[in-house]
Amino acid sequence: MWERGQGVRGARLPGLMRAIPATLALAGVLLLAPQARAAGPRISPIQVAVDGDRLLAAFALRDGFDDRLRKRIESGLPTSILYVVELHRDRKRWYDLRLQENTLEVTTMYDAVARAYNVHFKLDGKLIESRTVHDLKAAQEAMTEIGPVPVFQITGLPHEWRLLLKVRAETGSRNLLSLIPVTIGTDWKESPKFRVPGTP
Amino acid sequence: MPLRDKLLRHRKDNRLIVGALVALLLLFTTLFYFVQRGRDLPPELVTNRVLLFVLWYANVILILTVLFVLLRNVFKLVIERRARVLGSTFKFKLVATYIGLSLIPVLLLFGIAAELLQGSFDRWFNTPLAPVLARGNAVAQGLYDQIEKTDLRDARRVLREIQGFDLRRAQDRPRLTRHLQDLLSELGLDVLEVYEGTEFVFAVINPESGMGSLPDPGRDLLEQAAAAGNAATVDTPPGIPGRLMLAAVAAARPAAAKRNAESRPPVIVVAGSRIDARLADQRDTLVRDYQTYRQLEAQKDDLRASHLLIFLMVTLLILLGSSWAGLYLARRVTVPIQALAEGTRRISGGDLGHRVDVEADDELGVLVRSFNGMTEELASNKAELERGNRELVSTNQRLAGERALLAAVLENVAAGVVSVDGDGRIFLCNGAALEMLRQAEDAVLGRRPDEAWADPERAKLAALLAGDDEAGGAAAREVQLVLGGEWKTFEAKVTALTRGAGDAETARGKVLVLEDLTELIKAQQLAAWNEAARRIAHEIKNPLTPIRLAAERLLNKQRQGDPELGAAIEQGVEIIVREVLNLQGMVDEFSRYARMPRPLPAQVDLSRLVGDTLNLYRNLKPGVEVDSDLDAALPPAWLDGEQIRRALINLLDNAVEATDAPGRVTVAARTDNGHLEIQVADTGRGIAPEAKDKLFLPYYSTKGRGTGMGLAIVHRIVADHQGTIRVEDNLPRGTVVTLELPTGTEST
Repeated sequence: MWERGQGVRGARLPGLMRAIPATLALAGVLLLAPQARAAGPRISPIQVAVDGDRLLAAFALRDGFDDRLRKRIESGLPTSILYVVELHRDRKRWYDLRLQENTLEVTTMYDAVARAYNVHFKLDGKLIESRTVHDLKAAQEAMTEIGPVPVFQITGLPHEWRLLLKVRAETGSRNLLSLIPVTIGTDWKESPKFRVPGTP
Repeated sequence: MPLRDKLLRHRKDNRLIVGALVALLLLFTTLFYFVQRGRDLPPELVTNRVLLFVLWYANVILILTVLFVLLRNVFKLVIERRARVLGSTFKFKLVATYIGLSLIPVLLLFGIAAELLQGSFDRWFNTPLAPVLARGNAVAQGLYDQIEKTDLRDARRVLREIQGFDLRRAQDRPRLTRHLQDLLSELGLDVLEVYEGTEFVFAVINPESGMGSLPDPGRDLLEQAAAAGNAATVDTPPGIPGRLMLAAVAAARPAAAKRNAESRPPVIVVAGSRIDARLADQRDTLVRDYQTYRQLEAQKDDLRASHLLIFLMVTLLILLGSSWAGLYLARRVTVPIQALAEGTRRISGGDLGHRVDVEADDELGVLVRSFNGMTEELASNKAELERGNRELVSTNQRLAGERALLAAVLENVAAGVVSVDGDGRIFLCNGAALEMLRQAEDAVLGRRPDEAWADPERAKLAALLAGDDEAGGAAAREVQLVLGGEWKTFEAKVTALTRGAGDAETARGKVLVLEDLTELIKAQQLAAWNEAARRIAHEIKNPLTPIRLAAERLLNKQRQGDPELGAAIEQGVEIIVREVLNLQGMVDEFSRYARMPRPLPAQVDLSRLVGDTLNLYRNLKPGVEVDSDLDAALPPAWLDGEQIRRALINLLDNAVEATDAPGRVTVAARTDNGHLEIQVADTGRGIAPEAKDKLFLPYYSTKGRGTGMGLAIVHRIVADHQGTIRVEDNLPRGTVVTLELPTGTEST
């Protein structure tokens, strides 16, 4: 929410604020948006692992590190990629039930004087890792190759539930007609279904 | 509504307008302030995604609000126009004008300003400064690259030079130190440090570098060098100005040594050279400026979007304000007009109790008040009219009753009534008149009198109606007509119907009232003949007595043998002859009266006739003057001159005889509206009222002598001339006899 997204680095917009401009934008925008996404960034297959009561996820962002991001990073602006991770319970012939939601924000800021890329990882708004790399390729790798990261606590979930992770990435925004801000991101990517280990 | 409430409402409206304007002004001021402040804000804040979305969201709300306001009013106007609400067309035009006047300029302004803004952004970022900054940045970065490269090269040489030394043997340290100091001086470095892995071994420092202590390259640099073979970093040395470039080179180790955890870590040489503070600062500034430019360039789209969105928001606010103000002003104008139109419709529908209850203090207010005043006046007038109408209805009902009564009376009255309207057409002819004139109703009603009465006899009535002399009043004539072979005598009275009074009086028709005098005259004639018979018998009896007495005296003388028989016979015969002569005179006079012929009209010079007649009586009776008073312009008249002379002689006989000396007898004659009026006035003894009714009867005399036929003959002559005769007292004494005769024409 807003508190977590304050500042210049990748505030995560509430669903309503993202939905209303998109809804009220030109119809063409809405029609063109899925096509753009199909040829744009995507999430690689998600790898899921259970470590005790933690659920680890590893995935990568493909074709998302475009020239816009590159230029923005090299300009020294804080540049974020926001990964939205949701844990769902799979239900046959019915909608999946969302159990938990979490965000992983990866922010890179280039220090041109020191010629270093400082990469910060925030899970659910809390800093979990920082690293400094000295070239753009390493920064790109740090931003797009995620994991394994402990994304959820799965304590208490029944082992008979079939679970799955859904991941979506937001890489920024662009302005349609130089006026209408539109979020750039990927479609939801689902992990293979899995169960919490335990006694049946 | 009381005046106080009106004033309060008016003040409330004004407060609303002023409040809205002040709020709008404050909003614009705030926006202007933030826009001005926005220049000093960091670009990343201005181009923040949240801010962009908030701005867009606010614009969407404003767009929806403007659309809602406009569409709602347009929808209402369309509905009102379809429903044909009074004043909706005017309101539609006014609102369209207001909105058009505000919408078109604002949208044009926004379009032009947005285009200018786009152009300005393009010009800002297409400046020739960009390549200069890029080259400067390349030079600045190249400087560090160059220093790094040199330091790495020097560090490698130092590493090669010290490979022959055992760093852990204390005996080699002095020689190593001297060698490193020599290399330090030779290579122009400021510091040389030797590590085994991350463990410090020893170092030499250039005393001229100004550094008070050894710089710490940091564990990261050493590990990075150990892993990659070399690494470099720029650090800020403690205690001295400027920067310090530290370049680390690690000695290569055999693969077996790397796998053996117990083997010694690699030797790492760190070469450091101090960068002048001024040069470093300039380089950093150059790099930062270039970065700032690149940041701006990277945020160009967002920056442009945020400016456009802010500008769009201001535009929409202006549009909203102007539209609202336009609609509000239009409503302030159209609402009273609509109310007036509705009021007009209601009042034209008869609802005079309707009042326009709209607040307006300008000319519309005056109009509304005038309208309400007019409505009150209309209501008052209507009440007056209704009251008058009720009275009129009542009067009409009364008149209808009276008219019905009059019609009933007219139908049942014995007199004939004929009424002619202003156009001269007969519109009323009662049954008595139709019976008198022996005509059908269809032959009379709706026709002019000369059409209805075209025959010569009835034409006398038409002529009577057409006469001008009675236009202003009433006139009565005795008219004799031969209808169906019978003589009919009518008294015809013509009365003019007038409208208005005084000078404004105008004629609108005439009424002819006919009274059939035929039977009355017959009765009068019968009575007159009875009286005449009685008088004749009386008159005849008077001479008979002396005759009988004379005859009896002669018979007695004869029987007695009176010697005076001869004288007696002579005396008796004389008496008898005299009385017989009297009887013969009476019979002759009566014969003349009975055989009096119909008048034969001829043109008569009345002045001459009167003058000749008067000459017979001048100086006839001493002390009695006889003179005339004739109109100088007396026209010729169509009369029977001989009969008129005889009538005058009879009247003058009576007048002279009744006038004692000194006295005067005057004959006057004049014409008046086609009638000839002849008056014989005396200053004699006068006539008793009871005798006036019998004056014109045959053998009636107040003188005790004469035949009593004189005035009867006069009456007969006047009647035969269609005239009238009346006897009045001549004040202060005497009698006036007036003859009224028609002057007539050759045809009559």
